[in-house]
Amino acid sequence: MSLTTSVKSVAIGAATLSLLLGTTAFAQIRHYWDPNAPMVSLEVTGTTPAAAAIFDDEEAGEPQLLAQADLQPAPLAQQAQDAAPPEVDESALRYFARQGDKRRLEIEIARLRALYPNWTPPADPLATPVKTDTALEEIWQLYSEGKLGEVRQKIAERQAAEPGWTPPTDLTDRLALAEARDRLINASNLDQYATVISVASDNPQLLTCSEVDVLWRVAEAFARTEREPRAYDAYKYILSNCENTNERVATMQNASLLLTQTNIADLLTLERFDSDGKGEFAAIRDDLARDAVARGSKDAEAAVPAEELKRVERLAEADKLPSDARLLGWYYLQRKNHIEAEKWFRMALDGEPSADAAEGLALALIERNAFAEAEELMFRWRGTSDNTRVVYLAAAANLLGTEPRPLLTSEVLNRIVAEVASSRYVEGARQLGWYSRAFEQHTTAKAWFLTALSWSPDDEPSAYGLALTYHLFGEAAELAEIKRQWAGRSERIQLVGVAVTEPAPVAPRLSTAQEPLALAPTQPAPRAVVTTNVQAAQPAQPSQPTQPVQTVRRTAPAAQKAAPAASASRRSCAGQIHPESLSPEAALNRGWCLMDANRPIEAAKAFDVALRSRSEQVRRDASYGQSLAYLRAGLIDNAAVSATRAPQSQARAQELQTSILAERALGAFERGRYVEAIIALDQRAQIAPERIDLMVLRGYAYMKLGRLSDSKRVFEAAAGTGSRDAIRGLADLRNLMNGG
Amino acid sequence: MIRKLLLALILVTGMAPSLANAKITSEEWSAYTDRFVSQEGRVIDDGNGGISHSEGQGYGLLLAYLAGNRADFERIWSFTERELLLRDDSLAAWKWEPWATPHITDLNNAADGDILIAYALALAGAAWHDQRFTRNARTIARALGRTSVFEHQGELLLLPGVGGFGPKARRDGPVVNPSYWVFEAFPVLARIAPETDWMRLSESGKRLIRKTQIGERRLPAEWVSLANAPKSANGFPAMFGYNAIRIPLYLMRALENDAELLRRLRDGMTGPNGEITLIDAVNGKIAAQLDDPGYRIISALASCVVDRVKIPEELRSFRPTVYYPSTLQLLALSHIREDRPECL
Repeated sequence: MSLTTSVKSVAIGAATLSLLLGTTAFAQIRHYWDPNAPMVSLEVTGTTPAAAAIFDDEEAGEPQLLAQADLQPAPLAQQAQDAAPPEVDESALRYFARQGDKRRLEIEIARLRALYPNWTPPADPLATPVKTDTALEEIWQLYSEGKLGEVRQKIAERQAAEPGWTPPTDLTDRLALAEARDRLINASNLDQYATVISVASDNPQLLTCSEVDVLWRVAEAFARTEREPRAYDAYKYILSNCENTNERVATMQNASLLLTQTNIADLLTLERFDSDGKGEFAAIRDDLARDAVARGSKDAEAAVPAEELKRVERLAEADKLPSDARLLGWYYLQRKNHIEAEKWFRMALDGEPSADAAEGLALALIERNAFAEAEELMFRWRGTSDNTRVVYLAAAANLLGTEPRPLLTSEVLNRIVAEVASSRYVEGARQLGWYSRAFEQHTTAKAWFLTALSWSPDDEPSAYGLALTYHLFGEAAELAEIKRQWAGRSERIQLVGVAVTEPAPVAPRLSTAQEPLALAPTQPAPRAVVTTNVQAAQPAQPSQPTQPVQTVRRTAPAAQKAAPAASASRRSCAGQIHPESLSPEAALNRGWCLMDANRPIEAAKAFDVALRSRSEQVRRDASYGQSLAYLRAGLIDNAAVSATRAPQSQARAQELQTSILAERALGAFERGRYVEAIIALDQRAQIAPERIDLMVLRGYAYMKLGRLSDSKRVFEAAAGTGSRDAIRGLADLRNLMNGG
Repeated sequence: MIRKLLLALILVTGMAPSLANAKITSEEWSAYTDRFVSQEGRVIDDGNGGISHSEGQGYGLLLAYLAGNRADFERIWSFTERELLLRDDSLAAWKWEPWATPHITDLNNAADGDILIAYALALAGAAWHDQRFTRNARTIARALGRTSVFEHQGELLLLPGVGGFGPKARRDGPVVNPSYWVFEAFPVLARIAPETDWMRLSESGKRLIRKTQIGERRLPAEWVSLANAPKSANGFPAMFGYNAIRIPLYLMRALENDAELLRRLRDGMTGPNGEITLIDAVNGKIAAQLDDPGYRIISALASCVVDRVKIPEELRSFRPTVYYPSTLQLLALSHIREDRPECL
């Protein structure tokens, strides 16, 4: 047995073999990583290592290996040369040749050459079937189909039928290895890391560049069982020895999810560069920088290296990914740099409308008292989430509370009123009371103060406003009653109608100076409502004093992607990139997680697995998710197919359909197919109101088709909403008509 | 007793059944595999929606050994090892479903499945001189001893699964299942994994079966809580159920001939026409009436042991019905041919 194994260093092995093999199988040399012996790869020139390696702790591993290296046996090649010409078993080689399995054929040639240096492969492996063992061929056939149990069965049957027959060791070795591989993958899919590691350490020949997936699984098993140095070794082995760029990148990706920063940085130095000097890990470096900024966007104390920040800023400017701009917006908002935050959020919104960026921008605007713009901006997004509603209401309350009171249009006032009412937002109702009072609409003011108190009976500022109004109207009994209720709880309510400083209630115009002085310090600034835990319908205790704005920090997608500790939430998107190994439900979760991480193509694959679920709900969600993923990736036709893979609710079906048709219209327009663009727009218009930007698109499509009056009509309608693009469109149209 | 030890000795020293002297005929075995063993070596429980489990793989291995069919043993083992023997503690995950991904849908183990697998492997390893089988048998047996054999109130007991049955895992824990004591396996396990006192475990199991008598028929409950005096465990039907039918079979296969016990078990589980009746101990109603020859033969075998009544002709021939009774029938037939020819 020991003769069949030799141990060499990688360098010697690779050099020798590459000379021997010329170019054919250079990349296929069967090196493997020895999990027992960090960072020394073994070259398999034979079959099973003689001594079954015992899986030791890392301390024990290295000395053992060094000892092995010292006692390096004479290379097998040498021994083989000295001995009589060996009998070379070419059956596998001929079999793979007949099957046309080029990859396996090359591996087999490389293997035999390494084993028998004097051997030359047959010029035509198909030509010399000296004697064909058809029964053995059948067994090889089963082997190549992965029917390993049946291979075992057939071998045993033949041994029973033909006493003395023994299967070729090549077959039995490969069989054992294939069984081990199955078992390792199954154990890995069940997170049985001890089993993964024990199988790997018993079968180190599995750990080769041709089985990078297995290496990843072993690395993961080490990382998840507190043996990061071993995981690091495995990744380092791949990056030092394996050639496939996609696999190298995926390796680095996996490593960056499972290793600590120092080790990640160390592995990044193994990057390879193309002739243009572009590094293969550029995208990963980008993602790592994003992760760092995302950490900083959640935690003002988190240190983000300047180079990482710069990298993301460059990316945001160059690639115009709204998600990058949002990340930077939140990062600066978290650090109270509202000017920078506003800049990035605006850039994000220019790229694509999103509640997240709108919310961030609104918070930055509130910071610089641009409440009207904040209210206007957030109105569209108020229903997206609890957070957006809170931010909208905060902007509205701030707007109402601005001094001097702004004269709001009835449109703005009406929508604020509607939202305050439906949210039962106490601060809003109170501010509407004061706002009404400022404009001398005291009956309305009274109604709002009463409303606020009905939602929150302990809201002192509202009670105070109400008391002032009772006083104003001379409603003595009501005033006395409210004073009784607030006795011992509010001094200023007791003083209403008593204190000489009481403001003239019916001042013709209310300026700042005429505002009741008592109000100024204690009236809760509306900003106080902008806290993370304020529920729109259940406002915070009104007696709270003014609070500084606290950034509404929701789990923005970009931030969610990179939780600070490389754990829980990161893990959800981390690990192996094998949606096939997941249950449909897990794949569904992974799909959404990948969508949050803006990795739509991988998300689409995960949703594909989820579509196999037996649960209709899961299939429905998966179909919806996949459709969104393809939309995001710009694969409109795929999105359309995905949308039909499970029945959707009316609302979702409509959402998908409108998005798909909009994308289709855009795509058609870009390809110069204007009629198709208009057809798509018409279809879309039947199920949803036309967005302004799509109206502009329609205008240009008509223009291209020479339907100038149609074009004019559409541009004019869009321009009526203040769309600059539409105004530009009208100008273009005029130029066209004038220029002929 | 001497005979039992002798049996164990024979089994571990390698008197292999060959095709010629197998106690399950090749016709019977191929009828069984055609119905219940897939090409890839998966034993299919067609009575449970076509799933597979560690118990089934264990029975498959044992029957293949008893049929002297090494080729089938090989494929069933290959599947078992790759697909079920995945747990970090070296035991088998018990439940495998063909349409699920991953196929393992419950990672917990079932101690009877592990015992059957280890036992069959030990027999095969000794008989066919194959270290692969012996080594794996030892690994599983040691893992069982380490994780699942425990001391409780002076007895040595077996956890049905590593998760969920111990004294801390449930209020009425520990909960055991008397039908998980595969008595014939213990002498073999004692030989390969002597760190565990398998024979004491065996004796405790017999005492448990004698002691646990519920309902009018005084049968052991299938799932027994041992928090206090033995009683039916919470959340399980209080009855002598499908699992428990194996208890007398396992006792007899291990050559345990306690006539009083066997008579009580037989009388409690047998209807007027030799069919097996499963009775709800709470309301006394018949929960199931089982006519399959694979069930009836257990009662008939007990009658042979205690009353010297021969096995009726119609139970002697094997025609596969569904997985579980078909398995029981082959276990019973092979035992009768091997050890109780007087019953034929």
